[in-house]
Amino acid sequence: MIVGEQKPITEIIEIIAPYKQLLILGCGTCVKTCFAGGEDEVATLASMIRLAFKKDSKEIKIAEQTVERQCENEFIQEAAQNIAKNDAILSLACGAGVQAIAKRFPKVPVLPGINTTFIGIQEQHGIFTEECQGCGNCGLATFGAICPITRCSKKLLNGPCGGSQNGKCEVNANIECAWQLIIDRLTQLGQLSNLRTYIPPKNWRTSISGGPRKLIREDHII
Amino acid sequence: MSTTEISSEIKLTIYHCNNAFGNDITHNIIDKEKINLKFINMACSSMVKDVFILRAFESGSDGVLVLVCREEGCRYVEGSKRAKKRVERVKKLLDEIKIDPKRLSFFNVSPDNKDATLKIIKEAVINIKNIGPLYSF
Repeated sequence: MIVGEQKPITEIIEIIAPYKQLLILGCGTCVKTCFAGGEDEVATLASMIRLAFKKDSKEIKIAEQTVERQCENEFIQEAAQNIAKNDAILSLACGAGVQAIAKRFPKVPVLPGINTTFIGIQEQHGIFTEECQGCGNCGLATFGAICPITRCSKKLLNGPCGGSQNGKCEVNANIECAWQLIIDRLTQLGQLSNLRTYIPPKNWRTSISGGPRKLIREDHII
Repeated sequence: MSTTEISSEIKLTIYHCNNAFGNDITHNIIDKEKINLKFINMACSSMVKDVFILRAFESGSDGVLVLVCREEGCRYVEGSKRAKKRVERVKKLLDEIKIDPKRLSFFNVSPDNKDATLKIIKEAVINIKNIGPLYSF
């Protein structure tokens, strides 16, 4: 999922300052799971903004709505009426959701309420970890389904560096050595011989380094 | 959730676990003090969401007190721990919007020690009276 965290309230108050009537629009999928942009977070943020504005004797009207996904037109449509009634939208979706709303409603200012952080998983309740950088050419089959691009601080593709100690990375002792994890897992799977395969320098043109990416599925286009 | 309310100047909202104390405490307070207390009785203190606390302030409370069972006595195992974490978070949120976090307080109480609970409530009232109203206009 896409992991994000809410922007500091001071920054949010600054970006919504020009507007008198605001829709806080939540997204009920990824950012809801990471407690950044679901219904609860919309309600909490709306309440905080009202309290902060009242304290400064300022007025603002806030509407609240959460759609299932802000990155899909059919769900965005559900918010169309509410969007039309407000001066601006404070979107609690990831950057893709914010831009999807902006594309759909060109005359309405759309503001980001969260910082999109990474593609990751919920390691345990309340702890999220980055697992994928969307490099566009997945090699997890070789690495025992542990991504060295994302999880090795040095992005090494042909085995560990010399800095790993007790399974921890020399860059930060709180980071697990991805290569230790890869070797442990390949050993468990009986696939340690995978390490004999030379991995050539990665072609990064399929990643964001090659410019904005686009996926076209002709079979779904009418 | 059930509520009991009387009116006066300073308003304190008390979220409490149903198992933390019974209704006799609320009557005891109401009989003795001329203060505006709103008791919100919850099935478990872990139901105290961030927004509930903030909305208490929005609806005119000058302070919020969250009373939960002792951690080892929580009928739902981790309810008191969850409530504590939520209150800590809301204190940070209040600080960010420049509302004194001392307006929000949290205590573990026991149904066996009603005197201690009464003392906590009375001290919370004094604390909020000392801090003053949330909005002075």
